[in-house]
Amino acid sequence: MTLAGKLPWDWHDGVIPANAEISSEAYLETTYIFGRFRSNRDAACRVGKGASIYGGTMLDVSAHGQVQVGAYTTIVAARIICDQLVQVGDYCLISWNVLLMDSYRQPFDLEKRRRQLELLARTNPRYVEGDAEPRPVVVGNNVWIGFDACVLPGVSIGDGSIVGARSVVAEDVPPYTIVAGNPARVIRNLEKPE
Amino acid sequence: MSDDARQRSPWDQGSLPENVRAGVGTAIIGDLAFKRFYAKLPEALVIGEGCTMELVHFDVGPKGRMVVGNYCYFTNAVLLCEDRVEIGNYVVIGWNTTIADSDFHPIEPAKRMADAIACSPLGKGQPRPPIATQPVIIEDNVWIGPQVTILKGVRIGHGAWIEPGSVITRDVPPMSRMMGNPARLMGPVSA
Repeated sequence: MTLAGKLPWDWHDGVIPANAEISSEAYLETTYIFGRFRSNRDAACRVGKGASIYGGTMLDVSAHGQVQVGAYTTIVAARIICDQLVQVGDYCLISWNVLLMDSYRQPFDLEKRRRQLELLARTNPRYVEGDAEPRPVVVGNNVWIGFDACVLPGVSIGDGSIVGARSVVAEDVPPYTIVAGNPARVIRNLEKPE
Repeated sequence: MSDDARQRSPWDQGSLPENVRAGVGTAIIGDLAFKRFYAKLPEALVIGEGCTMELVHFDVGPKGRMVVGNYCYFTNAVLLCEDRVEIGNYVVIGWNTTIADSDFHPIEPAKRMADAIACSPLGKGQPRPPIATQPVIIEDNVWIGPQVTILKGVRIGHGAWIEPGSVITRDVPPMSRMMGNPARLMGPVSA
């Protein structure tokens, strides 16, 4: 069973996109999170049972993007910038103002960037469509990401790990570790459960 | 296209504050754009052509003056200007980035206490102590990611690339890629 249409408690006058598969045992605070959701692929947003996504979240997902949120995961307020794949596993805790991005959306090349910005001025609504190679972000199971942290394109975070508040994660995080800092470094290891 | 409340209310020349000028093709989107715009100077905010200013806070103080060039794209940036903020052409600023040309309060404890009183409900009419400001200059083609902080007195050289979450406390040389808190040089920007 999946949720569809309007949410009875929603303050925002919106609907769940037809290509989203939200478990009927998940909780979405509002459809406002889909304000920048424009993916047209199948199963572009999957949310598992027992997951909850609260109002400060924004799924900024372009035409080919896919966001997956596992079971029993809580996302308080994340900005998810997705051109290809942002995957969050089961039993994750994602705090407020967390950034998960699989693309910079803008090319490093100055000339290409200038052309993209000139094109943006003539589009409506003004969405920047990805002109940079996306690299999926994969967050494992049982991961806790502290507030204001940024996870950059191509990063994988292993099962059971913790990302400290305000960290910027530019490299893969091994499972069962705590990383912190900007740029983030491993500060200690966690015991792997039996 | 999904319903996007934030796209509903673009400002136009008629609704802008009178000391704000925006060029042809520039879109200023979001109810809070001028919520904390206290600028008194004429032409306190001048924005060029073809810009997209989406959910930007233009928090310009009474003596502040801010200039934004052509074809810039800012989303959800907080721009705090008590003196002067100059932003060039083709500049990108990401979500939740803050730029400030002031510390907003004095460093010295006694003056800071006087400022706390002046800012309180009981401090009506009391002048605030002087507060340090230094202009922020961002040159052409600079890319600034989300969650970045740029502090007063900084000049960011043309074409520099500031990674998400960076804190910029010093001048950035042109075409350099910066990351960290405090931000450090990662190398040149290369395609």
